[in-house]
Amino acid sequence: MKKFLTKILFYGFLSVLVFNIIAVICLFSLEKSNFYKPEFLKNGVKESNFDYVVLGSSTGLTTLNTIAIDSILNKKGLNISMDDSSISSHYLMLQHFFALQKKTKILVLTVSQWDLINKKPELNNNDYRFLPFIYKNYIYDYYSEMETSFLKPLTLSRYLPVVGVSYYNTELFYPSILTAIYPKKRNRFDEKGNYFYPGEGNPTEQKYQSIKLEINNPYLNKIARICQENKVELIVYIPPNYKTTITTNQKLNIVNHSDLIKDKKLFYDNIHVNESGRKKCSIEFAKVLNTNFHH
Amino acid sequence: MFFNSLHFTIFLPIVFIMYWFVGHKSKINQNYILILASYYFYSCWDWRFLFLLVFSTLLDYVSAMKIEKSKTQSERKMWLWLCISINLGFLGIFKYYNFFASSFAEMMHSFGFSVSPILLKLILPVGISFYTFHGLSYIIDIYYKRIKSEKNFVDYSLFVSYFPLLVAGPIERATHLLPQIKVRRKFEFEKATEGIYQIVWGLVKKVVIADSCAIYANEIFDHYQTANSLSLILGAIYFAFQIYGDFSGYSDIALGTSKLFGIDLLRNFNYPYFSRDIAEFWRKWHISLSSWFRDYLYIPLGGSKGNKWFQVRNTFIIFLVSGFWHGANWTYIAWGFINALYFLPLLLLNRNRKNVDDFTLKPDFESVKTIFNILVTFAITCLAWIFFRAKTITDAIHYIKRTFQDLHFSTQYLKIERYSHELIYLVLIFVIIEWNNRHKIEPISGKFSWLKMSLCLAAILALGVFSDIKEFIYFQF
Repeated sequence: MKKFLTKILFYGFLSVLVFNIIAVICLFSLEKSNFYKPEFLKNGVKESNFDYVVLGSSTGLTTLNTIAIDSILNKKGLNISMDDSSISSHYLMLQHFFALQKKTKILVLTVSQWDLINKKPELNNNDYRFLPFIYKNYIYDYYSEMETSFLKPLTLSRYLPVVGVSYYNTELFYPSILTAIYPKKRNRFDEKGNYFYPGEGNPTEQKYQSIKLEINNPYLNKIARICQENKVELIVYIPPNYKTTITTNQKLNIVNHSDLIKDKKLFYDNIHVNESGRKKCSIEFAKVLNTNFHH
Repeated sequence: MFFNSLHFTIFLPIVFIMYWFVGHKSKINQNYILILASYYFYSCWDWRFLFLLVFSTLLDYVSAMKIEKSKTQSERKMWLWLCISINLGFLGIFKYYNFFASSFAEMMHSFGFSVSPILLKLILPVGISFYTFHGLSYIIDIYYKRIKSEKNFVDYSLFVSYFPLLVAGPIERATHLLPQIKVRRKFEFEKATEGIYQIVWGLVKKVVIADSCAIYANEIFDHYQTANSLSLILGAIYFAFQIYGDFSGYSDIALGTSKLFGIDLLRNFNYPYFSRDIAEFWRKWHISLSSWFRDYLYIPLGGSKGNKWFQVRNTFIIFLVSGFWHGANWTYIAWGFINALYFLPLLLLNRNRKNVDDFTLKPDFESVKTIFNILVTFAITCLAWIFFRAKTITDAIHYIKRTFQDLHFSTQYLKIERYSHELIYLVLIFVIIEWNNRHKIEPISGKFSWLKMSLCLAAILALGVFSDIKEFIYFQF
């Protein structure tokens, strides 16, 4: 029995040690890369001052093309949106943005209707992308607040990185090998952080609907507060939705493009535009933004 | 509490330490600890079903003694059938009532009568099929005087509820397990080490192979209408490895866990995908269930005695019942029926016990034939698995039709953002490892076991699916 336990403990400890070292190397490799948005923001974005920044989920990523807007307005913009995320992740991204000593005059927060009414935000599917920065307190605090499961793999990773790296092995372990070889590789976004859905889309047919939203997401207030503290003007952008008009009674600075696009061919699906749709939205948004800059 | 959960990772060492450090002095203490651990383990799913488990245990315990004490044959028979009826009654209500009610309504509808069935909103108690069969084998053995009834209720309770096998088998026999429970277990280093190896290999099968295959198989089966021939073939292969990795992985973890407590369980899988015909496959797949049906259904029905017609009838009965045991759906019955059809030519030609010996490959024609037979057996097994996995028989038929209709063999990009062929490399590596170790229980033991163990752990961490934990398929049965 003694021999058995000694062996188990010895090999167990050795395994934990070795695998943790591997996990630390993985996170280090990712932190030095441009692969995901949080890492790209640190390593791939050399400028520190921007005229405007687009923040959001996949709709933010694929609706407003900062390269097009910059060329129209002759301004400096950046898209820091991350797909499969929500307002709580946007808040974290914004904290990350400021923590990296970057500044912007205007923040364009792209939101979805479901996100605005969500009273209890939870951990989002792609929040693991901040894991290489787990040593930063605002990331750790966010994880410990948002993770509700018994095993908190992301939170626990501050002390046992192997837990998070193995839990999200497909999303973290393999990209870390890839980025060790190609550190400049980006995961589906251009040098200004934009992406578009290719081809003509196929939105599901539906009747025209008009939705009035009660904004309940507590993280929207947090974003408004952090913008105020950093003297950033906040614009909430509602992107096009297929055959849907969204209204809200909130006294926010809202640019509502929910019913901007009527042509089905400009949609990728019901809530995302395709490349042509993105072009139209970017031009229209540039006009709005232009008036903001003149004020 | 799944074997691949954090909960079990904490639970197992606690029980192990309690068992060997607190309860090691007597068999009574050891059994009490295991009973408490088993009931806790079971209550983690739903504590209310503990009552059902205890009732089933009590019923079999009392019935066995009544059968033994009965003075007349009719009294013995009465107790046997009473016990069987109540056990199967519970199984029937929880598992099959809704199926029969809705099937009856559908049948009446096809005759032009409108019947709205009264359906029960019941949750299927986890492992009910397994512990019911445990109890039945015990009662039937008592009836046929193969064993004496167990007088010690604690020992008998442990036989029924022993946590490594409680929810998904292997289906143990009283003749094998009870004698081990009735003596004090002494710690054996070799056995415990074997147990650890088996647990780790079981985890590889479950979280690396089965759960990865599940992602692809689910995607392809759920959207088979848009998949091409290659994807559909791969979908069936992935499901074959999903169910094998899932169930044999579970069995390996169960057997390994039990070895840590000094108790050997029946082997449940013996590399079934390396079988040369379907009869051999069924001797190597879910061995404890196949042998249960053989001993308690096939042989009492007459087995292979009598004329060919009786043998064919018995074969179909056993395969259909086996299919139905897996679940209340026509797809499982169809799966059983197809396997019976596969078995039929072997039975009629008296070749069902042709491949009972072990084999080694040499550079000769016989070996080519062996490999060909293995591939054909695997292919027809995959074909039957389509019925097992599909939601309805119609879906299964459409799936097969589509596979052979438009023969497109280009690799497809799936909605899970991966190409359909990507996982096949991992599956092939797994097959090569199993092939090279098919004469052993698991591939870790032997030379360089520490290195193989490290590679397995690394594979679990690097390739395992954790963020979307899937329960073991056989829990639903």
